[in-house]
Amino acid sequence: MIDQMTCEETFRRLEDFLDRELSADECRLVQEHLEICAICAKEFEFEATVWSEVRAKLQHIIVPPNLREKVSLLLKETECF
Amino acid sequence: MAVVSSAAKLFESNLEPILGTAYGVALRLTHNAADAEDLVQEAAVKSFCGFHTFQTGTNFKAWFLRIMTNAFFKRCRKKRCEPQIIDLEDDSALYLYNKTCEAGLHETGDNPGEILLRKMDTEDITAAMAELPLEYRVVAALYFMDEFSYQEIADIIDCPVGTVRSRLHRGRRKLQKSLWRIAQEQGIVAEHQKKRRFKENDRPNDLRRNIQTA
Repeated sequence: MIDQMTCEETFRRLEDFLDRELSADECRLVQEHLEICAICAKEFEFEATVWSEVRAKLQHIIVPPNLREKVSLLLKETECF
Repeated sequence: MAVVSSAAKLFESNLEPILGTAYGVALRLTHNAADAEDLVQEAAVKSFCGFHTFQTGTNFKAWFLRIMTNAFFKRCRKKRCEPQIIDLEDDSALYLYNKTCEAGLHETGDNPGEILLRKMDTEDITAAMAELPLEYRVVAALYFMDEFSYQEIADIIDCPVGTVRSRLHRGRRKLQKSLWRIAQEQGIVAEHQKKRRFKENDRPNDLRRNIQTA
């Protein structure tokens, strides 16, 4: 079991870390490395910012106001048998 | 009649809270509001008719989205939506970071990720998503629209977790390339480089004269 990560080991886990898919131990090791390595920290911060902004923009959706009513009406008219 | 009616009510009570998310995923898959509505309605009818197969207490949202993404894949196969050429080039996970470094966007102290993305519209991002191969786009749409875990996405599209991880990672790398191209096309990069040059020029007169004659 490693007790600290190198830059290369941390970088390999970049995407899984951002996706919160690492185990608790691996996550802790990555965070510890980021606390002491400014270069890796900058890369991680950049990636986190980009994907957070992409997500925010993609989630900016205007749901058609009558969608619920349309679906409800459609289901009332649906015969499944 | 009463039994059918209560099942219908139960179904609608499960559907109502997730309808917005479902529409959002549908929109990111189809890139078209009318098609997205159609897809959601088709999935609503299919899942309503198959509601007797849904196990109460399990994840209704994942179950519904599975039906919806299957419907989307079926539509694509019929329409032969797009070529399924998947570029096997192994793009770097830091493509956009490296490009912004090369362009000098890290030198001003501002966060270059914010610089690029804040200037882009939702339409720019959706255009980048539309360039993804279908398999990557489906995973990316599920990931970005609701922060599903790899396992949840795997359950929705019925494939191994490792496949989800691979498609998401590759999809994001391809998105980075598209985002950089869009940033260049829209002049976002050039604008920031110009601002940087103005800041460099904002020096005492004698020093600026020395730079110009160098």
